[in-house]
Amino acid sequence: MDRRDFLKKSFKLSAATIAMYNGYVPNLFARTENMEVSKDLAYVVNGSPAEMVSKSIELVGGIEKFVKKGDVVVIKPNIGWARRPDQAANTNPDVVTEVIRLCKAAGAKKVQVFDRTCNEAKRCYHLSGIEKAAKKAGADVSYVYPQKFKRVKIPQGSYLKSWEFYSDVLNADVFINVPVAKHHSLTQLSMGLKNMMGVIGGNRGQIHNNFDQKITEINSVVRPQLTILDCVNIILRNGPQGGNLKDVKNTNTIIAGVDRVAVDAMGATLFGKKGQDLGYIVEAHKFGLGEIDLDKLNVKRYDYKS
Amino acid sequence: MERVRRISQLFFLLLFIVLFFKTTYPFETVLPVDIFLRANPLVMLTTMISSREFIGSLLLFSTIVLVLSLILGRFFCGWVCPLGTCIDISDRLHHLPGKNPNKSLRKYRVVKYTILVLMLCAALFSVQLIWALDPISLLTRTFTVAIFPIFAFIIEGILSFFISTGLFENTIFSIYDALRGTIVPVEPLFIKKSVFILSMFGIILLLGQIARRFWCRYLCPLGALVAFFSKYRLSKRLVTDACISCGKCYRECKMDAISDDFQSFSHSECIECMNCVTVCPTNAFKYSLKLRPSKEKIDFSRRRFVFTGLGGLLAVGMTKTAFADKEKTGALIRPPGSLPEEQFLDRCIRCHECIKICSTTGKYLQPALLESGWEGLLTPLGNPRYGYCEYDCNLCGKVCPTGAIHELTIEQKKEMPLGTAKFDKSRCIPWYKHEDCLVCEEHCPLPEKAIKFDIKEVETRDGTIQPIKFPYVDENLCIGCGICATKCPLDGKAGIFLTSYRQERWID
Repeated sequence: MDRRDFLKKSFKLSAATIAMYNGYVPNLFARTENMEVSKDLAYVVNGSPAEMVSKSIELVGGIEKFVKKGDVVVIKPNIGWARRPDQAANTNPDVVTEVIRLCKAAGAKKVQVFDRTCNEAKRCYHLSGIEKAAKKAGADVSYVYPQKFKRVKIPQGSYLKSWEFYSDVLNADVFINVPVAKHHSLTQLSMGLKNMMGVIGGNRGQIHNNFDQKITEINSVVRPQLTILDCVNIILRNGPQGGNLKDVKNTNTIIAGVDRVAVDAMGATLFGKKGQDLGYIVEAHKFGLGEIDLDKLNVKRYDYKS
Repeated sequence: MERVRRISQLFFLLLFIVLFFKTTYPFETVLPVDIFLRANPLVMLTTMISSREFIGSLLLFSTIVLVLSLILGRFFCGWVCPLGTCIDISDRLHHLPGKNPNKSLRKYRVVKYTILVLMLCAALFSVQLIWALDPISLLTRTFTVAIFPIFAFIIEGILSFFISTGLFENTIFSIYDALRGTIVPVEPLFIKKSVFILSMFGIILLLGQIARRFWCRYLCPLGALVAFFSKYRLSKRLVTDACISCGKCYRECKMDAISDDFQSFSHSECIECMNCVTVCPTNAFKYSLKLRPSKEKIDFSRRRFVFTGLGGLLAVGMTKTAFADKEKTGALIRPPGSLPEEQFLDRCIRCHECIKICSTTGKYLQPALLESGWEGLLTPLGNPRYGYCEYDCNLCGKVCPTGAIHELTIEQKKEMPLGTAKFDKSRCIPWYKHEDCLVCEEHCPLPEKAIKFDIKEVETRDGTIQPIKFPYVDENLCIGCGICATKCPLDGKAGIFLTSYRQERWID
């Protein structure tokens, strides 16, 4: 290749890249638009974390419904805090491991695991045990790259006109949300809808101001095909970081579903609340992101002890 | 022999760099990462004198260096000192015309002894100034504040360039993944005042335009101390009758240590680089070990001594009587485990090991300018708007060579507040706008949070009455880590700030 050829090729490539990301519309919807938002909700208790994850995915259709051979899968756990697994501020590493294992068994070409942390990234990845467990299970674990955030317009947004989203999430074939359920002073609880804070760039603190509306608008852009809510250990007080083991309860539950509003509404019951008690779940339901009324869902329960 | 010396220099420079990279989270190291500072006899003397305390951690290695200097002369300068190695490398790039010895500069050899005496006198009056001109702490500081951030910036720049073109994307990101967290920091690093620190280093290297090893010959106080011990050295290098007085050694000598008749050396100037031995056409040098120490006169008269002492006193007077702005000292947040301020300033050699390791975790510490007065120049200060003190971290105390920061256990550290947070209610969103926020409360790391809130029904901007969460600081619990101020989403000044109220220092 001579110099002119090289310059031509580079120019074309750069132009294409720029054009692609200008007013980019995520192609994530291509997969999910054809998939009806299923009313199935799995509620599994009293098994090991791996058993419960496996059973809950089985109950909502099996992993093959979501992951096809050769897919690039993004798994988004909560790795936000520099806390140990027993403190339950992050997703349980055994839960993450099982999701990775299932995706790989279904033929995923690549499984990516990352989170934009709140504390220093290395510490969070390290202390949470998720980096080690995920790498062992064969996932690609990396820290978020500032270069990978792309500004996306939010057409239905009134509080947010646009925001930065992580391009790996926008480009993935499958996006699986694996949050942990816990108390949060501002929002009352932090579960799946709030976990999307970890795939956005910019000054995230601003989302806290008029949170209910803003998190809904964020969730209107990114839509995970599947949400698996880790309720193995939940923080009841002083969340979302906790720290005191006395604030942690071992509820030994996994909730899974396609409808992320429904998953959050179900998760709220573990804390003695209803979806209707939480402002942001009500807002998300009003926006049309999912079903808030548990009676309208097809809840499939499974108890390992019975 | 010259080759062995070069290998030794390279080894110690690489060791310095490796230990620098090991000063990070997670902290696992075989050798103490601050070993160069601990082996520095100048640091040992000045900090022990100015603090009037016995600092055990410094004693062993620096005594070894001094004892070896008695036998081997200024080997430290020629074989070990990483700044010396940097100067040698830089001198090669200067391409000085010819290698004539700089006879006219010889009278300035005494300046390094003057500096040394000045520092020791100041230390006697409990003003520790050695940090400014000690080569090892200077080099460590320059690496922490300037060289490493710039190096990381260049690497990231190259990788970012490739990323933006979209070429070889997968390979580039794989490389980036491997480098991040090891060679390159995970998040970009910004350290203040790096310009001044880098300039100092730059000037030292640029002095190579005038003469080789300019710093070592005329300025370095550590060199002066080692030279002083070298004048009593036991091993000698002698010129034999094989000498044909060609003068090659004389021109080759980096330190201008060979006499004008080519027959003798200044043992207090020679740094044992062995260039003369290599260059000698007749192999006219030989070594002998004499039990009676040689004695060489150092041109440092009593008069000069007195005037230097007075100069030291003046320096002390100026630093001690200059006042530190109370508005700024009110926010003086020192690293956890710091000794009380007087003792802290006596011991802190501004090596920035603590700043380096903190930059890999919370990024709280930054070098001070005048916030703690002239005496506190370049000491580590907490900067809560940029970083915070990680709750489960006690690494700064582990890498402080002089014990200015006492090494605390994690439990001890959690009990010692660095200061207290306070709300600026004219800026904080709930207080001035009646809208919810609580990012500060969310990030407070205490198991029982130090930021609590009252829910009050208030009128909001749109005219309705809403329950809003109004945060306040629980001053019995706050440990002054600063994460609240770091994460406050306001642009510009935060709605919460740190003061040194309730600050606790380590007291023996």
